Amino acid sequence: MSSLSLSEKEAIILENDSDPQRILNMLIAIQYASEEGYIDEETAKLVADRLHLSQARVYEILSFYAILKTEPQARYVLKICNSTPCLFTGGDRLAELLEMILEVPEGQPTPDGLFMYHSIPCIGACDQGPVIKIKDTVFGKLTEAKVYQLIDDLQSGRYQEL
Amino acid sequence: MIKRNQQVLLARINKMKQATDVEEYQKYNGFSGLLKAIDMDKETILDELDLAQLRGRGGAAFPLGKKWRHLYGAKGETKYIVCNADEGEPGTFKDKALLEHDPLSVIEGMVIAGYLFSAKAGYIYMRGEYRRIQKVFQEALDNAEKAGFLGENILGIKGFNYKITIISGAGAYVCGENSALLNSIEGKTGRPRVKPPHLADVGLYLQPTLVNNVESFAGIPVILREGGQAFLDLGTKDGGGTKLICLSGHIKNRGLYEVNLGTPLQEILYSEEYGGGSSTGHPLKFIHFGGQSGPIGAVQNLDACIYSYKGLWDKDLSVGSGAIVVMDDQVSVVDYLVQVAAFFAHESCGKCTPCRLGTTRILELLKKFNTQTAVTGDLERLEKMLMHVTNLSACGLGQSVANPMKSGLAYFPEEFEAGIRETAVSVKGGLW
Repeated sequence: MSSLSLSEKEAIILENDSDPQRILNMLIAIQYASEEGYIDEETAKLVADRLHLSQARVYEILSFYAILKTEPQARYVLKICNSTPCLFTGGDRLAELLEMILEVPEGQPTPDGLFMYHSIPCIGACDQGPVIKIKDTVFGKLTEAKVYQLIDDLQSGRYQEL
Repeated sequence: MIKRNQQVLLARINKMKQATDVEEYQKYNGFSGLLKAIDMDKETILDELDLAQLRGRGGAAFPLGKKWRHLYGAKGETKYIVCNADEGEPGTFKDKALLEHDPLSVIEGMVIAGYLFSAKAGYIYMRGEYRRIQKVFQEALDNAEKAGFLGENILGIKGFNYKITIISGAGAYVCGENSALLNSIEGKTGRPRVKPPHLADVGLYLQPTLVNNVESFAGIPVILREGGQAFLDLGTKDGGGTKLICLSGHIKNRGLYEVNLGTPLQEILYSEEYGGGSSTGHPLKFIHFGGQSGPIGAVQNLDACIYSYKGLWDKDLSVGSGAIVVMDDQVSVVDYLVQVAAFFAHESCGKCTPCRLGTTRILELLKKFNTQTAVTGDLERLEKMLMHVTNLSACGLGQSVANPMKSGLAYFPEEFEAGIRETAVSVKGGLW
């Protein structure tokens, strides 16, 4: 994970008092702060070491929780909700539409590494469906035109903070 | 004085400019519940809670007074207070509003619990998807500590030392189950424990532990401030207070509302103040109550239904988390249930076989009905599988999978039968 230095990762661990109770807080914080969006082996080893846990325990956690990733992610990961309130208010079309626009199947990054989309079950924005969530930001009440616009905006760098 | 038909839990949300500001919170009755509590005899606090009839707002509807009394009587040097803020129930987004826009009310409820049980540590386990809100909540905790409502010698009471730590979830629905949640706080994978022992006796780090939902904790200060009777009067005899409800699906005014328990369901669905009726022009067909694990009701059978615990139980329905997902007549129940089954198959933690394999088999069977490839005997197989998963699963996730399926089957058997006869017309949503 080249985008985060050792000291930056250590700072995140220390912010959480190197407290094993807060292992999820730190893993998510490290993952979100990194450009590649995943926990690599070196980082998992570092966390295990600092928290006095076995690496197996850290990997057990990484594989159990859906938000945590062990493979590099695209620059923008578009999360679409496939739970019933969203799915039946237009969400069922999002995956198709994104496949058409981005020309990659669900879960696979675009060749330029910029985009990836996948379904998740519920992000707590059921009153705004259909929705796309990127990191902590929810884009709600989407229409086809709005999805095209969102992709354009992301491509042109309008949402650098994401 | 609080009266019916006024906002109680959402009252501050609509007034406060800075949700994490302690002074502003106090301006709107904030911390007055705690101030009253510390002047009360502990037994009297428990009596007020019993009188209020607050039922657990996470979905289980267990009387909070009983739960607190059990923990009060539990033996242990250390007692832990845990707030379940792992709101992952599809159709539910009520806790999010409190956590983000009135975090101090949740904190106040947790401090009252800390006082009553002489706890030193409280935890709030907040879902990973609410990462941004975790920061807001931390700010509220810091402000509360600065103002002397958390930390050492709270409110000048010697030995009243209590801290609250935020623990992040990381995307696992099963962590909403209380024992799985405690495992996750302990830095383990969030798989449920075998119960009994009850968490009030053997909970976090094997110590007596109280686990309540966000909305339940937010209700505690109201009870102490206004009195148990006033809280009870807001609702009905079988459950006091107001309830936060989340309207979604094919309803015009989707969103979060606060209603008195006892409000007619028709009013919630059709009045302009709440749902405003169908958003699609098609008549409403069925409602999924309380989240994915809740039961489904047919709209045509619910004319006289009262939205209260008993009102819904009488119709074999339940309040659950407060989710009200409404579907119009263009949606096939089988289609809908396939998605619900897919959710459970995805979210089963895999620890116990009946749930791990059972949810998968249920999904496969429902897909057969959905593609008109079901054969004679599949309906019986489905019913048997539902019974097995309900009775044999180790935790609430598996035990409640059958709720939506069984009620869907009961109200719309013809849609399942059509899946066998190969004559069904499957209509799916997609309205834009």
